[in-house]
Amino acid sequence: MIKKILIANRGEIAVRVAKACREMGITSVAVYSDADKSSLHVRVVDEAYHIGSSVASESYLDGDKILALAKKISADAIHPGYGFLSENSQFIKKCEEANIIFIGPSSESVEMMGNKTRARTLMKQNNVPIVPGTTEGIKSYEDAEAISLEIGLPVMLKAASGGGGKGMRKIEKIEELKSAISAAQNEAKKSFGDDTVYIEKFVENPKHIEVQILADKHGNYIHLFERDCSVQRRHQKVVEEAPAPTLTYELRAKVTKAAIDAAKASNYYNAGTIEFLFDQKESFYFLEMNTRLQVEHPVTEVITGVDLVKEQIKIAQGDKLTIKQEDLKILGHAIECRIYAEDVDANFAPSTGKIKHHRLPSGPGIRVDRGIDIHSDASIYYDPMLSKVITSGSNREEALARMTRALGEYQIAGVTTNIYSFQWILNHPLFVDGHFDITFLDNKFINLLPGKWKKDLDKKYENVAAILSAILKEKDSKTKAFKRECKPENQWGKDNYE
Amino acid sequence: MSDYTVSINDNKHLLKILSNGKVELNGDNYEVELSQLSNFSYLLKVNDNVYQVTSEKLNGHDYNFAIDGYSYNTTVRTNLEEKANEYLQNKAKESGTEIIKSPMPGLIVKILKQVGDSVEIGEPIILLEAMKMENEIRASASGIIKSISTKENNSVEKGEILLEIG
Repeated sequence: MIKKILIANRGEIAVRVAKACREMGITSVAVYSDADKSSLHVRVVDEAYHIGSSVASESYLDGDKILALAKKISADAIHPGYGFLSENSQFIKKCEEANIIFIGPSSESVEMMGNKTRARTLMKQNNVPIVPGTTEGIKSYEDAEAISLEIGLPVMLKAASGGGGKGMRKIEKIEELKSAISAAQNEAKKSFGDDTVYIEKFVENPKHIEVQILADKHGNYIHLFERDCSVQRRHQKVVEEAPAPTLTYELRAKVTKAAIDAAKASNYYNAGTIEFLFDQKESFYFLEMNTRLQVEHPVTEVITGVDLVKEQIKIAQGDKLTIKQEDLKILGHAIECRIYAEDVDANFAPSTGKIKHHRLPSGPGIRVDRGIDIHSDASIYYDPMLSKVITSGSNREEALARMTRALGEYQIAGVTTNIYSFQWILNHPLFVDGHFDITFLDNKFINLLPGKWKKDLDKKYENVAAILSAILKEKDSKTKAFKRECKPENQWGKDNYE
Repeated sequence: MSDYTVSINDNKHLLKILSNGKVELNGDNYEVELSQLSNFSYLLKVNDNVYQVTSEKLNGHDYNFAIDGYSYNTTVRTNLEEKANEYLQNKAKESGTEIIKSPMPGLIVKILKQVGDSVEIGEPIILLEAMKMENEIRASASGIIKSISTKENNSVEKGEILLEIG
């Protein structure tokens, strides 16, 4: 039985894991960097330890430091959250050797899925459809040319050890292929220390649909349906929902079966996500497997009633899954909007500062997973995601209406956020009817920057804003501003009212 | 009792604060009632509608409001201030000085130009690192660099003046 978990992460996901620990009666431990001294995740755990400077490589990415701390404080497990060490097979290996439970899959599964050509080979062997192309690196230009022409242009070059768009090239004309191969190989070598590059058919205007699975250490596998994460800007997910609004019953049956086959192929245990691309003809292809909890896991929790973090912990300590596939049903619909500290109109530049005011939305069908509280900092060191607003309803329409209400109620002052931009997304006809694909934001929204996207929206409350401006200016000229402020250094019983 | 000009994007609104809780906006009268809930939030009633507003005063004239998930940046001036501002802006246009401010907080990684260098519009002048990303700050006008008010390895705030092009 796990009694004490070190959470090797920060922000909203560290808070999320701490909540699961609290419910299970497990002692939770936070680690924090200089910049995170007063962050929310430090305040919601039983124990918290400072592990280094603000730069992630000297704190949250320093596996040896974290492992040494876990031993010192007798933590019996480490939860990696997402990002940072969550898919680092070297770190997992070290945990295995130190006899500390890693709340995730085995290092072998992560290695198998981490290398894209290996994963593609494995999927092909197990009849999981992959994007047409090669399952090994390019050996010669002649081969590459023949394959590209055979599967048909355009094609993509991708790095086997890749991610984040590095070592990636789209080839429209065959003349571009030769120089693109060497450029992609160089980039891959520099970024990942591995110059293996393979060829994949370019899938036109696909939807990104992923399947959540759970697997225990006893060979039991279940799926928890799918999520549609096609609303992305430059490969960054912005809105996610479950179930996928356009997926048919037949396709759902097929894709969830493929997901379970994929998990079985890598002897997987833990919660996991298999990402698929759906083309316009509704054929789907394996894209990659994420061997960790996902940012967007709450929409699945909401439509299934399953607490994925608690299931991860139970699986890690060797329990058998108690949920049966036939017990799972899709309960209504859920949508998530990621709230970022960013200035959409300044090309999404991150916004930093102190959160001066924070009021959460509330009421039926609303959940907020957050890493911030009043007085916490949005710093330059980490991902600018502040929180996630998740709403649910008996159907998509109700979930959407609740999202509009929730975003209207959500008040944040101190940093610029992307909250307003959701008004454009959620009201766009393509979003409303569900037939958006991963090019939706890049094609329809990005060219309306800066500012043009809000031209029609702005009218709604422009008069109210104008009136309030004048009233406040008038008040300012007559009276002093409201003086009392709640400061973090204020202590109970201290008489420091002004 | 004063008259105000409120600028939102490119629109200018003319306002008069009348007595008995009335406001005149672009010629129409509205009944308003305001109560402050905290340093950063208000309840505002305009005619029959009530709005919950998050408000941040950015400086003497500028506000940011969030109303029902919508966001507005406004600049409010008395009509006298508005005239003075227009005069100053015209002056600046005549003398042709362009001030470049930091678009975001971050670290100055590299300054690519020196005082006295000539720059073309769109040319990168400063590399600014924020959230592990390097951002190029480009010249918003062509001309000669008149002054640089920051150094390499300096951390800067959003809106901090970096340099002047003349």
